[in-house]
Amino acid sequence: MRDIVKHGLILLIITTIAAFVLGLTNDVTQAIIVERAEQKNIESIKALLPEADEFQKVEGVAAGIILEVYEGTKGGNVVGYTVKTLPKGYGGTVETLVGISIDGKVVGLKIGEHTETPGLGSKVADAAFVNNFIGKDAIAFSVTKDAPAKDADIQAVSGATVSSNAVTTGVNASTELFNNSLKNR
Amino acid sequence: MNLGKVFSKGLIFDNPTFVQVLGMCPTLAVTTSAQNGLGMGLATTAVLIGSNLVISLTRKVIPSKIRIPAFVVIIATFVTMVGMLLKAYLPALDAALGIFIPLIVVNCIILARAESFASKNSVIASITDGLGMGLGFAGALVILGGIREFFGAGSIFGTPVMVDFFHPARIISQPPGAFLVLGLLLAIFNGITSKSRPGEK
Repeated sequence: MRDIVKHGLILLIITTIAAFVLGLTNDVTQAIIVERAEQKNIESIKALLPEADEFQKVEGVAAGIILEVYEGTKGGNVVGYTVKTLPKGYGGTVETLVGISIDGKVVGLKIGEHTETPGLGSKVADAAFVNNFIGKDAIAFSVTKDAPAKDADIQAVSGATVSSNAVTTGVNASTELFNNSLKNR
Repeated sequence: MNLGKVFSKGLIFDNPTFVQVLGMCPTLAVTTSAQNGLGMGLATTAVLIGSNLVISLTRKVIPSKIRIPAFVVIIATFVTMVGMLLKAYLPALDAALGIFIPLIVVNCIILARAESFASKNSVIASITDGLGMGLGFAGALVILGGIREFFGAGSIFGTPVMVDFFHPARIISQPPGAFLVLGLLLAIFNGITSKSRPGEK
């Protein structure tokens, strides 16, 4: 009985010290981590919508795979929106960031964090695939395995149809949101 | 106790990867490139030195009945600290290693060294052991990662080194390649060291 109390107390002391040390480390690193994450976020959405110089988060539109939406303005005028989506790919979710200008064109597309197969699915993040979308009207795209016949066709990365589908799903969710609600705000 | 012997045991003769075959999960998973192998190896070394140091310092106050939970708390604390520091100061490495940083907690090399060495030996010897074992692990991961990166992507430490007409064998940088290369390395390493192992013929 006495042993149990003694052992419990020793463990309590060890865990208390551990918690204290962790708290200190967290104090030092937390601010840097948060700042880094914010900076990275702003930088990545700036690249999606280069025309805009200020961004403001749009509240109340996140639903389903849509994570967050920013409204980009230049001199007070809305020039477009950036949408962050998280569609499901082959090895997990594929962070898909889309920039849509106010006149309804896809102006930016970036693949963020993903866990697609290196050398196959990971190629959806390359410019060769991403550029398929850039400059096109914000409509619903569909993935094809053959050479694209019309504007809405996106040729899949060879051997990575699931990953290509994921990105297209993310883009389509963004364009749908834009056409249905964002452009009429 | 001969410190040089302790160190070289961890680095070569009792190498955690090639001889003890411990910690296979991170070994197989993160060694897609030499860079990742080095990062994982050094993060593990830092945790190993820290946990060996603290466990050796406290070996006389921790009763043997509760040593395992105590070790786990100490190890988990160091791992979490390393994780926070990496996130704050080396975000690129943190992104590359991902989930395998928190999983250093369950890397059996660390608990094995705590149990079989640090809890029985002096502080200096335990730090030396942590350094030797950690560097042995890091070295093994860099060799494995380097070979996989070279054949799987045609580069070393991210720098392309192969001529244009070389087509990388993708399988080497994917999971089966990890098993293939590790198996070959195990055979080669043990073939070489079995001849010069101390205390054996």
